[in-house]
Amino acid sequence: MIDPMTVLAILAMAGVTYLTRIGGYVVLKNRALSPRATAVMEAAPGCVLISVIAPDFVSKNPADLAALAITLLAATRLSMPPTVVIGVASAGVLRWLMG
Amino acid sequence: MSVSEIALAEGQTTGGCSAEFRRGLAASTPMLLGIIPYALVLGAQAAQKGLSVAEVPLMTGLNFAGGSEFAAIQLWTSPPHILLIAAITLLVNSRHFLMGAALAPFIRHLPKRQVFPALFLMCDESWAVALADAQGRAAAGMRPAFSLPFYLAAGLSVYLAWVAFTACGAALGPALGDVEKYGFAMAFPAVFLVLLRGMWKGFAAARPWLVSLMVAALTYLVVPGAWYVAAGALSGLVAAWFLAGET
Repeated sequence: MIDPMTVLAILAMAGVTYLTRIGGYVVLKNRALSPRATAVMEAAPGCVLISVIAPDFVSKNPADLAALAITLLAATRLSMPPTVVIGVASAGVLRWLMG
Repeated sequence: MSVSEIALAEGQTTGGCSAEFRRGLAASTPMLLGIIPYALVLGAQAAQKGLSVAEVPLMTGLNFAGGSEFAAIQLWTSPPHILLIAAITLLVNSRHFLMGAALAPFIRHLPKRQVFPALFLMCDESWAVALADAQGRAAAGMRPAFSLPFYLAAGLSVYLAWVAFTACGAALGPALGDVEKYGFAMAFPAVFLVLLRGMWKGFAAARPWLVSLMVAALTYLVVPGAWYVAAGALSGLVAAWFLAGET
């Protein structure tokens, strides 16, 4: 059921991932940033978020692009739960319609 | 010290620990709609590659970073190529460095014995809601701005859902069919777009995001693999650096 090489690979992944999780905190916890570095760090969260979802903006599926436009519109005026429901529902319906 | 003890310890300073914990659960619940289908798909793909129903939750429970797990499963062989898998994990999860750095000013005051276990639960979702929450509380003058029980609740609910449903996916395997076709994938951009709106401070401040979006999208189209996240995030930071110098 549990293969030793698989366990080794999983432990390697887990170790690397945990180091990435603590790395940013360890480097910055006792450091005062210059105003310019502060401006960069203020932009960082948005840059990470938008980069992770960037593939959705260049999807080859027209139904998904249309659903993304609807979701984007919803996100500008609604809170999280209705936006998620509208996003998932519009993607499901448009994929079915535009199939 | 267990994570629940951390939550209790912090609650005494912020007041209403269980209320904060419930607030974190409420904030993370809509995201589960997006996470559960992904977890089922990952579990089913891992089972196809020969991982057992015990090995799948071992991976998702110890590593707990979905993007790197999808990438590792794509590259999985029997026996696995450990260095390749570790390298691709580092590449996909390198965004965690930036995420931890963004969180650092908010968690600096917490003792390390709380921070190091808590950072294990830092994933895209828990980080994003907790950071947005801390920014909102800081703007409202609340101290401490960062709510540890809120963050732990969001992290734990995502963690439990991820581990449980990847195991279900491995057990159910091919019986699931193609769950991706129903549109659940849109939950992820929906959550992130709402969070971005919360961080919005006008168009000028958002110019680095636009650079990130364009570079990440272009990289995704031309370069195979997971490079687009690192390329997009880093080019946004470079843009922010130059834009900060122009004023």
